Amino acid sequence: MTAAAQLGETCALLESLVERIDVGIFAVDRSGTVALWNTFMAVHSGKSSAVVRGQNLFTVFPELPRPWLEKKLESVFVLGNNAYTLWDLRPYLFRFPNNRPITGGLAEMRQNVTFLPIRIAGGEVGLVCGTVFDYTDTALAQHKLHDAIAALHQEKDAQAQLIVKLEAAQNQLLQSEKMASIGQLAAGIAHEINNPIGFVNSNLQTLKKYCQQMLQLISTYQEGEAQIGNVQLRGELSALTQSMDFDFLQQDLPELIKESENGLLRIKKIVEDLKDFSHVNKSDWQYADLNAGLDSTLNVVWNEVKYKATVNKNYGSLPAVECLAAQLNQVFMNLIINAVQALDESRGMGTITLSTGHQDEWVWVEVKDNGRGMSAETKKRLFEPFFTTKPVGKGTGLGMSVSYNIVQKHHGRIELDSLAGEGTRFRVWVPVKQTSIAD
Amino acid sequence: MTIEFIGEDQREALQEVANIGMGQAGASIAKVLGEFVELSVPQISAVSAAGIPAALAALAGDGVASAVRQAFLGELRGEAIVIFSEHSAHDLAELLACADVLDGPAERELLLDISNVLVGACLGGMAQLLRTTIGFSPLSLLADQVPTSMLLQADEISARCALLVEVRFRLEKRAFRSHLVMLMADDAVAALRRALDRFIEEL
Ligand SMILES: Nc1ncnc2c1ncn2[C@@H]1O[C@H](COP(=O)(O)OP(=O)(O)OP(=O)(O)O)[C@@H](O)[C@H]1O
Ligand SMILES: [Mg+2]
Repeated sequence: MTAAAQLGETCALLESLVERIDVGIFAVDRSGTVALWNTFMAVHSGKSSAVVRGQNLFTVFPELPRPWLEKKLESVFVLGNNAYTLWDLRPYLFRFPNNRPITGGLAEMRQNVTFLPIRIAGGEVGLVCGTVFDYTDTALAQHKLHDAIAALHQEKDAQAQLIVKLEAAQNQLLQSEKMASIGQLAAGIAHEINNPIGFVNSNLQTLKKYCQQMLQLISTYQEGEAQIGNVQLRGELSALTQSMDFDFLQQDLPELIKESENGLLRIKKIVEDLKDFSHVNKSDWQYADLNAGLDSTLNVVWNEVKYKATVNKNYGSLPAVECLAAQLNQVFMNLIINAVQALDESRGMGTITLSTGHQDEWVWVEVKDNGRGMSAETKKRLFEPFFTTKPVGKGTGLGMSVSYNIVQKHHGRIELDSLAGEGTRFRVWVPVKQTSIAD
Repeated sequence: MTIEFIGEDQREALQEVANIGMGQAGASIAKVLGEFVELSVPQISAVSAAGIPAALAALAGDGVASAVRQAFLGELRGEAIVIFSEHSAHDLAELLACADVLDGPAERELLLDISNVLVGACLGGMAQLLRTTIGFSPLSLLADQVPTSMLLQADEISARCALLVEVRFRLEKRAFRSHLVMLMADDAVAALRRALDRFIEEL
């Protein structure tokens, strides 16, 4: 075979390769005139090589992004290096329909295009050859993958949120469990104290009677004192009466007994309140007097309050309210303690006002203080579990979140009115009857 | 650690090749972009693998940056990384005849296109002087608007150490600034040494 024949064969081979290959191949010269347009390009563009060759690329395809593409081609002519376009950044160069007229997916064929410098006889770059690769399938797969990943992310976020909620719920459970066991403890103590109070009280009554009798006896003796003939005995008696200050003793004795009685009464009251407050035996829904609940709660926390604030009461008359009384008491306690803790001690005694009222099917209980008030940020985050502005050890930040949940359980709501530097007013609204609210 | 990749003569030759190559590159970039580009004197250094991310971060300065990588292949093998400081590419949209308002993909494409021009011109120029041909792979985005310390992670690097040639670009009248770093792994430097020896002999 001659060299010429060999060359001819190679050329024919290359030509059929360019025509058959499943890649778009075209070439343009520096003026943009098309010098090569293979079958892939013809089939997908619907314009045959005969139509396109010799024409300006931008005349045949006016929809091409001309200034940008000219610049790109120019850079290949000047630098003699490849240039690229990628489907994920620029979906396509030529608007070709995709190869899925039936199964669908993307409207246009996604393309990666590489621009290659072709040097004529090893010198200047005479042509730029574009190779167009169909990336539609890759793009579709990638889209699916993206969607799947997005869905996974969404799921993950939802789970993370759930975990946060779970944690909050668990903490609230812990807190209410803590409160419940405090209640139980209080009730147990109350019960234990009740016994000794009982016998101390009955003994005291007997003691009181005996004392009265003894005093009566002594006064009768005193009346007969003048009739005692023995001078020495009389002197001894009057010296004793004087040194004992018997007149005072006679006066003071009933008073001491009275004071002890009062003390016992107070102990009894506190024990009652403790029992009321904890409602150990009644964890179910029941009708309760919220005014009484508020009072017993105040008594339980009285020690925290009495040196820091004067308490004003402003109770309206309330119907019995269907509620979980122990839990509502817990809400009142949180509000009262917060009110006390908000007081500015440098301004002396604060004032806490407890009010209640009744409106239609609703009752409300209000705790107002003239303390520091809240910042906008605190107001926003007030009900968040663990949100506290108090130093470590003083606040866990659970009080309001637990209260919120309790009131929520009662289908009620908490109103807040607070001004930094002026004070805070919380008003808890609960329906009188739960059934009227249930739906 | 000090890394002895190339001898003193070879180093000088590389510096010269880089200087001339960048000069030519500047001219062809100007032709493509239609504006004069300032190129710094190329800096040559050797770094350990662990030192590469820090070296890139030091070049890019504080803040966030994006980076594009492109492999070069042939007798000389390695990777080129172009670092763009925050938003500096916006400025070039006009020069490459892109739309004024760039969305995410268009902006990334612009970074790739500019990188292709810079890398092709600079490395092509040097290869020509060394009488060797190099080809380039398609480019890919290495990092998109990340803190400069995270442009490249040390554990992503497979080479033990690398020879690093760094050039800075500036355009007059524009805020655009970028760095081109050419990295050759230790085992590829032998070929570079041979090419440099050839270059020295021919002088
Ligand atoms: N009456 C109030 N005046 C001013 N700020 C208040 C008042 N009540 C609550 N706050 C603010 O709301 C925050 C949250 O209150 P919450 O009762 O939930 O937690 P706490 O009192 O900090 O801790 P805990 O009640 O668990 O001991 C408080 O830290 C406080 O900043
Ligand atoms: Mg509290």
